[in-house]
Amino acid sequence: MKPGGLTFHFHKVSDWAWLTGHIGYFWQLSRTHLYIALVSVAIGLLLALLVGCLAARIPTTHPPILAVTTVLYAWPSLAAFAFLLSITGPSDTTVIIPLSAYAFALLVRSVTEGINNVPDDVRIAATAMGYRSMRRLLTIELPAAVPVIIAGLRVATVSSISLATVASLIGVSTLGQLFVAGENTDFLTEIIAGVVIVAMWALVFDGLLLLSGRMLTPWARRVS
Amino acid sequence: MIAAASTSFGGVISYLTSASNWRGSSGFLERILQHFEYSAETLLIAVAIGLPLGLLSGHTGRGGAVLSMLSNASRALPTLGLLTIFAILIGVGLEAAVIPLIFLAVPSILVNTYVGIRDVDRSLVDAARGMGLRPWQVLFRIEIPVALPLIVLGLRTAALQVVSTATIAAYVGLGGLGRYIIDGQASRNFAELGAGGVLVAAFAIATESMFLVCQWFLVSPGVRARAYTS
Amino acid sequence: MIRFERVTKRYADGTLAVDDLSLECADGEITVLVGTSGCGKTTSLRMINRLVDPTSGTIRVAGKDVTKSDPAELRRTMGYVIQQGGLFPHRTVIDNIAPVPRLLGASRAKARGRAYEMLTLVGLSEPMGKRYPYQLSGGQQQRVGVARALAADPPVLLMDEPFSAVDPVVRSELQQELQRLQAQLHKTIVFVTHDVDEAVKLGDKIAVMQVGGHLVQFDTPERILARPENAFVESFVGTDRGIRWLSFFAAKGLRLHVPATVETTTSAEDARRIAREAGTGWLLALDADRHPLGWLEVATLNGGASIELAGLRSLGHTFKPDDDSLRAALDATVLSPAGVAVAVDDRGVVVGVADHEEVTRAIRAASGRA
Repeated sequence: MKPGGLTFHFHKVSDWAWLTGHIGYFWQLSRTHLYIALVSVAIGLLLALLVGCLAARIPTTHPPILAVTTVLYAWPSLAAFAFLLSITGPSDTTVIIPLSAYAFALLVRSVTEGINNVPDDVRIAATAMGYRSMRRLLTIELPAAVPVIIAGLRVATVSSISLATVASLIGVSTLGQLFVAGENTDFLTEIIAGVVIVAMWALVFDGLLLLSGRMLTPWARRVS
Repeated sequence: MIAAASTSFGGVISYLTSASNWRGSSGFLERILQHFEYSAETLLIAVAIGLPLGLLSGHTGRGGAVLSMLSNASRALPTLGLLTIFAILIGVGLEAAVIPLIFLAVPSILVNTYVGIRDVDRSLVDAARGMGLRPWQVLFRIEIPVALPLIVLGLRTAALQVVSTATIAAYVGLGGLGRYIIDGQASRNFAELGAGGVLVAAFAIATESMFLVCQWFLVSPGVRARAYTS
Repeated sequence: MIRFERVTKRYADGTLAVDDLSLECADGEITVLVGTSGCGKTTSLRMINRLVDPTSGTIRVAGKDVTKSDPAELRRTMGYVIQQGGLFPHRTVIDNIAPVPRLLGASRAKARGRAYEMLTLVGLSEPMGKRYPYQLSGGQQQRVGVARALAADPPVLLMDEPFSAVDPVVRSELQQELQRLQAQLHKTIVFVTHDVDEAVKLGDKIAVMQVGGHLVQFDTPERILARPENAFVESFVGTDRGIRWLSFFAAKGLRLHVPATVETTTSAEDARRIAREAGTGWLLALDADRHPLGWLEVATLNGGASIELAGLRSLGHTFKPDDDSLRAALDATVLSPAGVAVAVDDRGVVVGVADHEEVTRAIRAASGRA
């Protein structure tokens, strides 16, 4: 740490009137931002459901899948953007691929954990009632796993919305553009506006998922 | 596109293997040290904040709801935004990078510690108290060792997030491995950019492995086997 | 001695867990607190080692008010065994047993030595000491729980439904084990259970508690079975209480008869003759050492060759007049195809038989005395 401790340059906070003039701009950035973030989560979820069910059905596939997702999860998003930049250029795809991978890595764990959490006696009872394994998976195990999957989905969505800002560093205009522009011109208002908007969207979608989770799983009210 | 990718891949290799790129004030070794410094300092502070709070709320069973709500909310804050804010407010320096990263690291440490301690089987705590252990002995001899897999998982997740996100410190003019990505991107030098990506990923995976090794040595086989079977 | 003096526990939400309980648990005896769930038996137990503090009243251990002691110090002088075992999963069996001696200041080596002694005492082998709890069966875990409670040689042992989570066969083994230990160690034991059979089997005294924390009856098991205080105790004790009560009367007083016997080498013709002379349809088959093999029904014999082992009917079971109760003798009578209970000695050699009439006579004599 540098001597003298922290010095706050509050004079750099200024011009709140600027905000009202740029609502259209915020909306435009939000649309790209949310498109990238949410499509990534959707792709991640789809893959996670497929792979998670596979891991739950065939236990031997579980350790390798866990290893792969651990590496995916550890892969820094900026590094992944950097790699893809040379292949796909500064496009939405360059951002969506790593964000999807990240969401996938997070959600696979939720899906397998959720399915494995189904009590053995429930599984045995379903089998004894004559459910075939595919039908049992789709009608008993997956629904029972919904609370855990929703919990994972909430983390994945919030992280994805937050991470999509980083895309602006490689020239893809998300809400992170507000940080890039603000940093270039030392204009704090723009950055703070960006943080607030991103956090707001994150919390809005977190709330929506929370509510839809409650509606989807009326039997699990107590778990929250 | 494939051709471009393969030529740039070769470029990355030669950039990484060139000895001159490893030395000096902007060489790999120096940058790795900087990256380690940012990450380690962040993690130490985050542990100092998150661990005691998590232990306390888990042990007493109080304040858990508030803490996890705050943690959830802080996940919504984009680290890049916080970084630029602090860089402008307090100037480019170690603090500007470390403070936003602390916001990132504390939630995983705190929430996992809290949940880990809270979920320790109550009958264990009952037995421990019944045999005459004092409250702090119950915490340190029983609750922490039993909750250790989750506590270490929290630390591991936090470390991973910090290590990968510390790359963006370079954006506000700080060092670390993100330097190569930001500079490579600015100068359209794909070899440098790719080399940065490889190094950051290697750093992250090394961090992850280090924690897995720690976990292996720290966590009792009795608890480890239980974690696998449950 | 543990004394409850007008002890009441009322929780913050107003629930009355224990209501004005006065009770004396004598030294060297097993006092069982029994009742349905919510009757305050566990709360009462937990007030002895101050895991719960009473709202009013006093609990004295060896004359000293427990609330005057430091809770941790107090608990180190009392062994505590709980239903789920409460074994520490991160420690080996030995390190689960050693802590209390360590807390009381024993050296590490000494505590471990003591822990190994305890392990043997509860019937586990030394190699088990290096295992982790998850590697043990439920019954073994409970044994370790008992070993842990005994490790510091405390005068008092508090047991909260210690055998409720294991299957009936293992439970019965553990109960016998506890009886064996108690005969050797003479601890002052307070034992909580919801199982009347367990209470009757283990208790020197039984305290029957009712929801709301009332003590309904405090007495010996014999008297609880024979003279239930009120309708609640009667229904709680259950419909078989008469039969169970018989377990308190020795079978020693039975007058045994000499049975008509055959050996495997006896011919069918001889067997028919023996039965005719004894005036019975059933013969007890013995091996060369006079161990009982089964009952031979004379009417089923055909031909004149030697009797066949396959034709024998099972004994049901035998009883030992020196150790067993009238209950065992009655049971053996009921299960015997011949309606006759076979008495054997410690080596399993037949010493005589008792028929329905004789068992009934002994029961009448016993209940007249009670």
